[in-house]
Amino acid sequence: MSKPLSVQELIKDYGPNRAVDKVSFEVEPGEIFGLLGPNGAGKTSIISIITTLERPTGGAVSVFGHDVVKDSRQAKVNLGVVPQEIINHGYFTVEEILKFHSGYFGIWENQKQIDFLLERLDLHVHRNKRVKQLSGGMKRRLLIAKALVHKPKLLLLDEPTAGVDIELRESLWGFVEELKAQGISVVLTTHYLEEAEQLCDRVGIIHKGQIRKVGPTSSLIKEFTQRRIQLTLKDQIAPVSHRWLVDQSANQLVFQVPADQGLGDLMSTVDFSYENVMDAQIMEGTLEDAFRRVLGEPTA
Amino acid sequence: MKTNIQFIPFAMLLNREIQRFMKVLAQTILTPMMTSTLYLLIFGVSLGASIQMSSGISFLEFLIPGLIMMGCLNNSFQNSSSSIVSAKFGGDLEDYRVSPLSNSQIVWALSLGGLARGLIVGGITFLVGEVFFYSTTGAWLNVHSWPIFVFFLAIGGLSFAKFGMSVAFWAKTFDQMSIVGNFLLLPLIYLGGVFFSLEKLSPFWQSVSKFNPLLYLINGVRYGVLGQADVSLSSCILVSGVALVFFHFLALRSLNRGSFVRW
Ligand SMILES: Nc1ncnc2c1ncn2[C@@H]1O[C@H](COP(=O)(O)OP(=O)(O)OP(=O)(O)O)[C@@H](O)[C@H]1O
Ligand SMILES: [Mg+2]
Repeated sequence: MSKPLSVQELIKDYGPNRAVDKVSFEVEPGEIFGLLGPNGAGKTSIISIITTLERPTGGAVSVFGHDVVKDSRQAKVNLGVVPQEIINHGYFTVEEILKFHSGYFGIWENQKQIDFLLERLDLHVHRNKRVKQLSGGMKRRLLIAKALVHKPKLLLLDEPTAGVDIELRESLWGFVEELKAQGISVVLTTHYLEEAEQLCDRVGIIHKGQIRKVGPTSSLIKEFTQRRIQLTLKDQIAPVSHRWLVDQSANQLVFQVPADQGLGDLMSTVDFSYENVMDAQIMEGTLEDAFRRVLGEPTA
Repeated sequence: MKTNIQFIPFAMLLNREIQRFMKVLAQTILTPMMTSTLYLLIFGVSLGASIQMSSGISFLEFLIPGLIMMGCLNNSFQNSSSSIVSAKFGGDLEDYRVSPLSNSQIVWALSLGGLARGLIVGGITFLVGEVFFYSTTGAWLNVHSWPIFVFFLAIGGLSFAKFGMSVAFWAKTFDQMSIVGNFLLLPLIYLGGVFFSLEKLSPFWQSVSKFNPLLYLINGVRYGVLGQADVSLSSCILVSGVALVFFHFLALRSLNRGSFVRW
């Protein structure tokens, strides 16, 4: 079976500027893959090449084995995309837009799926409105409905939660997990790293057009972050010198411990005893910390 | 859920194109009704009464087929070009590209959509013309050959819709769109013998006019309605056939080369 998405040595130049620089990654069936990177990193450019909106300068992209340049129509049959920017549709209503979009994917009669999506995305009461009459969050939901009319097996979400309130964000991610449970593969970009951490099985971190790191979310966090252990002591002690110590103030000590070391390892190497510890707080590294480390920024 | 990407994407886009102009019926139908009424009133009835045609037909008879074709060409061009320009602004042009619609499906759907509007406007102009003809002569104008009449309307409308697509894909602004419309299309249509017969021109301008492809499209329709025209039927068929093929490939090429990314 060919991979839902395979990106090999992808290059995209806009004039003299290289926006995507030899990017390679693959997406496995039924996984959620996060494409993370700061503004201008090249995420939307990669997505636009997958959807054939932009032509690659070099490299190859295939969707379920279909090359997006040579075999683009077959590649797009199983592909759904939620673009970063809102799309307007002039005089057409939500329901008409979904009907047309189904047709572009080769489905003339699709009322059942359209009704399901309108219901599921809380757009049912708005189905006779035009895009201009919708709120920002409704417009996003319409984009998501459009992307799903033809039941794609690979879904690309380019910042689907930009400008969306917390409640809707949570319900959208819930929906994405439902889709994953049905075996749909998802590629998403987002600037909310906390959400990416919860949601993504694997992530690729991209910066200035280059993939810096690809891997399972949890192992990336392990590799690039450290545990912070904060100890509150009963009695103040003389200044401690220890290679993991990052901060000491009054009776508080903060250590940064490699992810594979624990509180026990720490205590066995300090010269004060358990009895003196009043409280211990262990803070795991986050994807955000890993992200900053990979990009070479100071961690918070 | 039956999926067929060979025919349905095209059919749905054509359906969308037709619904698009049906939503603004005032613009698509009332405006051309108004213009053709005015033209017929001013040129056909009041000024035309004093114009003598050598071939034994009245000026009103001469004018009606020209106006029908002018309305058809103009509206076919307008429909496909404005559809693309507004889709470029709205971003829905991206929808065409991210779906399995092929470029030739897009070209055919938009050109048939443009033709549909062109035929409606041409039909309305025909009806208004009939009313004028009846009120001045007391008889209806008989169409000489419906197949020839409809053939030239269809070829002309399709060609112009394809031309409109090419221009809309190329244009970066609304200004550029209207420059092509006002400085290229309008003169060619007006000088293509809508309002006057070649025989009224000096030999020099007669030969210049023969290079205007619009002359053949318009006279093809005139032949279909009246059974006579300024140029031969075979030259009309030849030129309009070439125009259709040329504009088809021009439109395809602008889609293949152009960008579907929003402005
Ligand atoms: N159509 C274009 N023409 C020229 N340059 C472009 C074009 N689209 C993107 N770029 C440039 O390519 C680079 C990558 O842009 P891209 O939109 O892919 O970034 P991104 O990772 O999606 O950023 P963001 O998080 O802000 O959405 C940027 O430097 C941008 O200026
Ligand atoms: Mg982007």
